[in-house]
Amino acid sequence: MIERDRTLRVMVVDDHPMWRDAVTRDLESAGVEVVATAATGTQALTRARATRPQVVVLDLQIPEPNGVEVTATLVAEDPSVRVLILSASGEHSDVLEAVKAGATGYLVKSASSAELLNAVRRVGVGDTVFTPGLAGLVLGEYRRLAEGTDASVDAKLPRLSERETQVLQLVAKGLSYRQIAERLVLSHRTVQNHVQNTLRKLQLHNRVQLVRYAIEMGLDDELG
Amino acid sequence: MSRGGMRVMNAMRLAAEQRSRVLVDRPSTGRLHEPVVPTPASPAEQVETTLFRALAVLRLVVAAYAVALTVARFDEFARPALAVADLVLLLGWTAFVSWAYDARRRRRLRLYAADLLVAVVLMLSTPFVQSEAMLDRNAATMPTFWVMTPVLAWAAGRRWWEAVGAAVVVSVAEISVRREVAGSTWGNIFLLLLAAVIVGYAASILRTAAVMRAAAERAAAMHTERARLARAVHDGVLQVLAMVQRHGVEAGGELHELARLAGEQEAALRRLVRADARSLAAGSLTGGGDRGDEMTDLMAALEPFGTARVTVTGPGGRVEVHRDQARELTAVVSACLDNVACHVGEEAPAWVLVEDVGDAVVVSVRDEGPGIPENRLHQAAREGRLGVRESICGRMTDLGGRASLLTRRGLGTEWELTLPRRRDGGSVR
Repeated sequence: MIERDRTLRVMVVDDHPMWRDAVTRDLESAGVEVVATAATGTQALTRARATRPQVVVLDLQIPEPNGVEVTATLVAEDPSVRVLILSASGEHSDVLEAVKAGATGYLVKSASSAELLNAVRRVGVGDTVFTPGLAGLVLGEYRRLAEGTDASVDAKLPRLSERETQVLQLVAKGLSYRQIAERLVLSHRTVQNHVQNTLRKLQLHNRVQLVRYAIEMGLDDELG
Repeated sequence: MSRGGMRVMNAMRLAAEQRSRVLVDRPSTGRLHEPVVPTPASPAEQVETTLFRALAVLRLVVAAYAVALTVARFDEFARPALAVADLVLLLGWTAFVSWAYDARRRRRLRLYAADLLVAVVLMLSTPFVQSEAMLDRNAATMPTFWVMTPVLAWAAGRRWWEAVGAAVVVSVAEISVRREVAGSTWGNIFLLLLAAVIVGYAASILRTAAVMRAAAERAAAMHTERARLARAVHDGVLQVLAMVQRHGVEAGGELHELARLAGEQEAALRRLVRADARSLAAGSLTGGGDRGDEMTDLMAALEPFGTARVTVTGPGGRVEVHRDQARELTAVVSACLDNVACHVGEEAPAWVLVEDVGDAVVVSVRDEGPGIPENRLHQAAREGRLGVRESICGRMTDLGGRASLLTRRGLGTEWELTLPRRRDGGSVR
């Protein structure tokens, strides 16, 4: 375990030294390599380019550019990077925005260091880490998209399959992936894949929307 | 300590008590003698004042016209001295009334009435001032166009139909001094009535717009301030509480209790900040807290259940239900959570999920306790203990919805409360 973690390269972004140090300490004592820390969005982007971390543990409320923008930029520059959001203020709309921008994990700051470590490792190997609150927000987002006026017109709108809805609902009700696997008689991996898919579709839709917006605004030439 | 020393101590204590009493008393006496601070002008009053300033300029222009016309035909008047008196009254009143209308507190009914009276008096003086020849050729009255300014004052400061009343009074006065009512007179009367309606109506729209804009500006300023506070709270207090919670749980022992308290405070504070943001967002959209039509936000009602052990999850944004439904549903959720605390334990975790599925709202309450044995509810019902059945199932049925229970030994309990939406505000019972 320790051996594998040695290769896990993490960057910690938080404007509070207290948290930055605590998170760094927790990760390092578990054998995870913290390659950089940053206090602002600008620092985060510069240092990520220099150190190429695999996982970025990111606070959303940081000095400009904010966590959502940093997430979008990080993922655009290096699609293999995994972003784990660590937020103090609970499930807000900006958490949903960060997830749509490409973050694959979310944890509240009151989580224990064991939970944090577990989340960093899981995000590092490509798993998605949800809280019940985030699952509720994602469910709500899909329903909003389906209810929108352009729902019938836009066949490309992301939709949840029945199974995916079921899995998300159970996550939102506080069940662990293992409990969900037991209840639905699925493998742990399948549950994980369903959760991952819900995010991927949302992120894809978000990117398509951004590109469409850019074209409408005549920015496509600049994007080249 | 010597007796003298004791006395000194006592005296000091007494003095201190008196001082503190004075300090305590001060606010109440202060409130009694609170100076009368003039309340700042409301947006509607400011609009009125602006209109009256424009009117003062108009008054000056038409007064100048009246003066010019009187000078031009001075030789024709039967009683020139009375014509001069009319001019003095007209100019004097113009100066006075322009000053008087400039402040909200002087804009009383009697000022409007006096203004109208001056116009009528000037109008009625016409037959006594003008010569037979002038009267025969339907010459302009003594105040000429000036008579419209009191009518416009009524339009600017009072309701539009009151302005029309003032216009009628002026019109009747004009007709009474005419030997024969010519077409031009009818034209003047028509224009005067029209001006009263249009200006009156426009002024009322301006007043409403000013009030609305001021409210919007206030809401925006409040929102900015709250957002600033929320950020400050987020950056400081919530972080520290989360930190205490985290370290405390790991340290165990007494610190564990401290961690639990920190967790509760964190949840409470977060809820407060979020509820503020939610109500403000709703307020800025609808122009009020909750909508007038009896609809309310279910999330705002259920979020207070969230603690360190209870997780309340929703779709983000408002979940609108009828106010009565929200109240009943909140009571049902409360009963479910009480059940958890009672049968599973005070510290047992529970999850509340709110889903808005369009024509219905589904609320799930789940715990990871031992579950309710298959026949327990029926047995309890037979024994006359209707607690769960009555408070959860009964209430949901009354609401036109249903409560279903999913439980298995060792796998916890899950209540699913389904509430069909009613948008009409009528009863489904």
